[in-house]
Amino acid sequence: MALRDADTQKQVKHMMAFIEQEIMEYYEKKEKQIEQQKEIQMSNLMNQARLKILRARDDLITDLLNEAKQRLSKVVKDTPRYQVLLDGLVLQGLYQLLEHQMIVRCGKQDFPLVKAVVQKAIPMYKIATKNNVDVQIDQESYLPEDIAGGVEIYNGDHKIKVSNTPESRLDLIAQQMMPEVRGALFGANANRKF
Amino acid sequence: MMSQSQGIHQLLQAEKRAKDKLEEAKKRKGKRLKQAKEEAMVEIDQYRMQRDKEFRLIQSKIMGSQSNLSDEIEEQTLGKIQELNGHYNKHMESVMNQLLSMVCDMKPEIHVNYRATN
Repeated sequence: MALRDADTQKQVKHMMAFIEQEIMEYYEKKEKQIEQQKEIQMSNLMNQARLKILRARDDLITDLLNEAKQRLSKVVKDTPRYQVLLDGLVLQGLYQLLEHQMIVRCGKQDFPLVKAVVQKAIPMYKIATKNNVDVQIDQESYLPEDIAGGVEIYNGDHKIKVSNTPESRLDLIAQQMMPEVRGALFGANANRKF
Repeated sequence: MMSQSQGIHQLLQAEKRAKDKLEEAKKRKGKRLKQAKEEAMVEIDQYRMQRDKEFRLIQSKIMGSQSNLSDEIEEQTLGKIQELNGHYNKHMESVMNQLLSMVCDMKPEIHVNYRATN
């Protein structure tokens, strides 16, 4: 009798241990899940914060470029400054394209100004390139109204275009200088390891 | 003759007594088993409740710290953005002037590799 009692007791204890083991595993798993959830949330928060900061930086850069465009359109309205600018824009546009036949397109209001500039530029171009050239001014289409100024230069069949307006120059330059611009505006990146 | 039936009677009685004792023992064992099971269940339930309590404690601690953390991070982020704005305002003009001068001041020149062809 005593032996069978001990046996049954052992059985009961075994079953108890088994059930308690199950319970323990269940709660350990739940605890792990909560820890994981916490870490995921943490990571999400950090990510959101980072994105917020990056977006703020981006907005500031956009503000800068918009302000720059405003100031450029002021330069265009300042006739002596614009004259100097236009001389450079036309000549450099021609040097960039280097075609034998070129067409210069400008804003409607700039036509007389550009005509004079082109006349000045042609001999300079001929000397610098040691080549003859035929430069016309486009009288059929002009640059749209919302472009402040500058010129677009095409080759004879309009297949190649050089855009030398203050806006297009600003876009190009800003894009190329973006790392330096960011560094100057926001300070060097502390996380950069190279 | 009398002794035979007496003997049988005694045997039968002994048999009955033995059967009764067996029944009693089985009943007692059944009761003991039931009791042991009940005690075991109680212990298990206690264990489960204890684990549950521990778990809820951990859970509420973690949830509490969550909201603190998110407030802290929000604060830090706003601070960093303010810093950003300050830096921007300080250096904006000089960067602007640099950009504008690059756009407006140009020295037209032909590409270094240009060769005149005829």
